Amino acid sequence: MSFNWTPEELQAIVDEHSIVLFMKGTPEEPRCGFSNRAAKVLQQVGVPFASVNILTDPRAIPSVCAWADFPTMPQIYIHGELIGGSDIALEMYESGELQEMISSEKSN
Amino acid sequence: MVTEQWVVDEVGKVVPSAIIEATDLHGTGDHFHVRVISQSYEGQRPLQRQRPILAHFKQYIVTNTVHALDLKCMTPDQETALGETKFDPHKGKETEFFGIHIRREKKE
Repeated sequence: MSFNWTPEELQAIVDEHSIVLFMKGTPEEPRCGFSNRAAKVLQQVGVPFASVNILTDPRAIPSVCAWADFPTMPQIYIHGELIGGSDIALEMYESGELQEMISSEKSN
Repeated sequence: MVTEQWVVDEVGKVVPSAIIEATDLHGTGDHFHVRVISQSYEGQRPLQRQRPILAHFKQYIVTNTVHALDLKCMTPDQETALGETKFDPHKGKETEFFGIHIRREKKE
């Protein structure tokens, strides 16, 4: 079955994984400095996360951005909720909010 | 290609009371770090702070007039505590760092 980047399919991804990173490239081979920063922040948190390489399909970026109502990549989802891009991820990591958000809802 | 002043003016349309500083990260007029300092951000989460600015810039992002907008939306108190926030995704090859306050030696 092929993946068509529909809102339902995208929602299923963020529902299924507690942390999802939509990024350009992969955490091992990021293709954008901001995607790299987002991946590094999540790696620093130390909890496994799912990553989606949105460069694999030209439909991905417009579909994800329209679904999320967020115009840029990367995008980070914690427990199904968009928290923002790499700037917010870093800010929340430095303040401890990110770790708190990941661990607090996980135990529910 | 747009100028730092243009970015400041556009952000000012969204957050009129804010102190706004834009930095053209590469001199290419499309990657910007933007500091927005406003008392109105008190009590708002980072994504809520960014949403109105991103919604306004969406028209310029989809056309790739602006390729990257690294936003730092702060209250005056946070601005005092944080200091320098600039991040350039295409620099920092020797030391691997994903933020101004987090800098680590590159691990093999």
